[in-house]
Amino acid sequence: MRTVNGLPDSLISDLISAVGEDWVIRDPESLLVYESDAQTAHNLAPQAVVLPSNTDQASRVARALYDHGVPMVPRGAGTGLSGGALATKGGVVVGTARMNRILEVDPQTRRAVVQCGVLNTDLSKAAAPFGLHYAPDPSSQTACTIGGNVAENSGGPHCLKYGVTSRYITGLRVILPDGETVWLGGQGRETPTLDLVGLFVGSEGCFGLATEVEVALVPLPEATRTLLAIFETLEDAGRAVTSIISAGLLPAALEIVDRNTIKAVEASIFAAGYPTDAGAALVIEFDGVDAGLGLEAEQASQCCREAGAREVRRAESAEERLALWKGRKKAFGAMGRLAPDLLVQDATVPRTRLPEVLARISRIAKRYDLQVANVFHAGDGNLHPNIVFDRRDREETARVEAASREIMAVCVDAGGSITGEHGVGVDKRKYMRLVFSPEELEALRGVKAVFDPKNLCNPDKVLPGREGPESAETEWPGKPEARP
Amino acid sequence: MSRRIREALEGLVGSGAFPSDGELKAGGWDFAGGLRSGPVVVAPSTPDQVALVMGKASEEGWSVLPAGFGRWLAGGGRPDVQIVVSTRGMRKVLEYEPADLTFTVGAGVSLASLREVTSLHRQWLPLDPPGGLEGSLGAATALGGAGALRHSFGGPRDHVLGLTMVSGDGRVLRWGGKVVKNVAGFDLTRLMVGSWGTLGIVTSVSGRLFPLPEADTTLVFGGRRAAALLPAARAMALSPLPLGAVELMEPLERAEGEGGLPNRESTPAGLVLRLLGSGAQVTEMEGRICSDLAGEYGDPDRFRGGDSLAFHDGLTSWEDGAELVMRLCLLPSELGSLLEEAEGIERLAKSSGSGRGAGEAGLDDRRLVRMSAHVGAGLLRVAVSGVTWDARNLASWVGELRSLRGRLEARGGTLTVSYGPPVLVGELGAWGRVGGEKRIVAGLEAQFDPMGVLARGGRTS
Repeated sequence: MRTVNGLPDSLISDLISAVGEDWVIRDPESLLVYESDAQTAHNLAPQAVVLPSNTDQASRVARALYDHGVPMVPRGAGTGLSGGALATKGGVVVGTARMNRILEVDPQTRRAVVQCGVLNTDLSKAAAPFGLHYAPDPSSQTACTIGGNVAENSGGPHCLKYGVTSRYITGLRVILPDGETVWLGGQGRETPTLDLVGLFVGSEGCFGLATEVEVALVPLPEATRTLLAIFETLEDAGRAVTSIISAGLLPAALEIVDRNTIKAVEASIFAAGYPTDAGAALVIEFDGVDAGLGLEAEQASQCCREAGAREVRRAESAEERLALWKGRKKAFGAMGRLAPDLLVQDATVPRTRLPEVLARISRIAKRYDLQVANVFHAGDGNLHPNIVFDRRDREETARVEAASREIMAVCVDAGGSITGEHGVGVDKRKYMRLVFSPEELEALRGVKAVFDPKNLCNPDKVLPGREGPESAETEWPGKPEARP
Repeated sequence: MSRRIREALEGLVGSGAFPSDGELKAGGWDFAGGLRSGPVVVAPSTPDQVALVMGKASEEGWSVLPAGFGRWLAGGGRPDVQIVVSTRGMRKVLEYEPADLTFTVGAGVSLASLREVTSLHRQWLPLDPPGGLEGSLGAATALGGAGALRHSFGGPRDHVLGLTMVSGDGRVLRWGGKVVKNVAGFDLTRLMVGSWGTLGIVTSVSGRLFPLPEADTTLVFGGRRAAALLPAARAMALSPLPLGAVELMEPLERAEGEGGLPNRESTPAGLVLRLLGSGAQVTEMEGRICSDLAGEYGDPDRFRGGDSLAFHDGLTSWEDGAELVMRLCLLPSELGSLLEEAEGIERLAKSSGSGRGAGEAGLDDRRLVRMSAHVGAGLLRVAVSGVTWDARNLASWVGELRSLRGRLEARGGTLTVSYGPPVLVGELGAWGRVGGEKRIVAGLEAQFDPMGVLARGGRTS
């Protein structure tokens, strides 16, 4: 049998007949572009990349792969941070870049239907003339796709008030691994059957490829009030967050950056005017009806001052608002200055455990002689302890790995989760036993098998193998008491 | 048979787990709703006990109906049940951390008890499902039902952060957690929410709370018919104002107790708007709404603070006592069509009415059919009372509703029967069409309930 990159000729010709010669990428140099997502620690070039432009083409591609027993890995913009779009050995990546059309925006039903490759911000831009927007706003929103957001159940700074992706997805047109097309949910209707939309969102490409997505849109807020509070210590900022929530306020966003992050940002081209000697900066935003917002902002300022804020800045204009946000939004980009590599971690803990967990993370970093820069959605208890390192230094990389594992264990021990918004992908499979019992993992495998009986759709993601190195690495420690 | 089942289960969970007939009667258990033979009612007090019961039932092939306080046993239309597993034995608040705005409770904790605990810290679970506040969190989760507050807060799928369940074959499984954001593993929490107990029995629930709004005001604009208020209702549902609820009702609930409405003969329909937020925000919203609507619809009735809360608490029992409750759904922009369809149901009710509805409830003919719409969701609930369910009438109702369901499904909509005479539900089916996803639904049922003890009479069979 003749092959191309190890794939049978007959498959390549089926793929070409589905999408056209230009959209079946198979020369090794071009494939390098697809060797990783934004979690670059894992890399493997796919055997081929196929770029369908619509559901019908995607369905034919899936069918061809299924018939040849070749694994399919769906991929959006590749901004994911858990290696979820990493190629599988011997597999083909199905990219959604060409499925980038907004099919419908209906202000009368506050709904939009988009192809999965539409960028998050492009959807909000299309909805803006109607006074609407798409609420979930991951930090990568100018680059990431709605399909990718669906796969990861993405969050974002404003999810504190608005909720995450899952809340806004009302229907999905899905290509199952065997190429069959089904609509789940849709037309904003009450589903008369199981909540398969809810199940599919966050399934990380393991159940199939969602080619069209129906989303709920929400009104643009009439007004916003944005504050930036500067603290001497991270703990003070954490206390301010608890105090704001305890006061019964519900900001749209509560975001913290720590000293290391501020330093990185201020030394970069993204300098936002945060004081470099500060221990932490807290961005607070309220939105809604203009009346009363000023009062809420004032109450939040008061909470910050009582928690020891040395300064509370208030944005008076749209430009000032962007300036206050800049240090937070550009944090990840700025960290590139600190070292060649950055491990963007992601975990959640109950909000009240933040100060204690942050202190434990700081001790872990010290013990492993690593630099951690914290950026987090403090209102949600969603941490991003980011570790800067140099991958070429194998010994340092090993310390990063060991510290990461300890950080995950600390978060789980505090009643939290190993990932709040970045997903498990390939990167966190090894931690899944920290949160699930063998029986629960088996049930998750069973659910995947319902959608993908031959395990051809993004295999080797999310679920740890039944046997293998991960089992030896982490024994199931018993159920953490904090889980329900 | 039921004696054998009872003895077998007693051996597993002890005789204390079986409420007496007297207790069930006093608790308002609704067996009349259509369970064919007297099932064994067991109320385990731990998930492990539930697992023992389910393991045995699965082994023996005994059919099981999960329940909370047994107030809605015919929901979902499954009369053939040998065991009712009630969660009423699991009624502890397991964890409540006010500063985290999260809770974990046994599935048998009622919404009212949870509110009692959280209101001390000026927090609430903004969830008002049909069935009233005396219903359990487990039932609210399993049924996935939402009330008027869905307009702003969504439903159980948005509130539940995690849950413990016992699968049909007796596995204790925990999904999600107690943190607001969590994407570890597939979202089995959402799969279980609204699964109507076809996959397992929910034994505990973790959820998200919100700060109690400082101000709570309800405005009620009256009208002759719901259809006449529809333009205002749609305008409000599409308003950029963050309204708490937008409900269109015909008739409005009558004056009863605190927070009830004055009797309004001339304007029996009503547009109910709930405004939640800070004092300044609510005042601002009220002013703007009244200046938009009062010219055409007159001055609204106003309920503030506790009266507003009581008014909406009352709406949660809107379905109680009806003989047939249906949910009709199209796109929100097509709500007018649903109101027209409801008129057809009204005509049918008149032609098959016994007159009881009129006589006993003191209502005129038209009130054989009541309607309540979640305007933003395009969902119309229709409650029917006072019909003589004889063979002839049943046949015409089945025929009419089947054809109505067909019309709605052809437009991408749905008609589900939440409650109804067993023969009607049996003939019509509670859920309607399951489309291309049927294979997946059946696969999931088989995963979690391999022996089919729960799913019997469920979505796909």
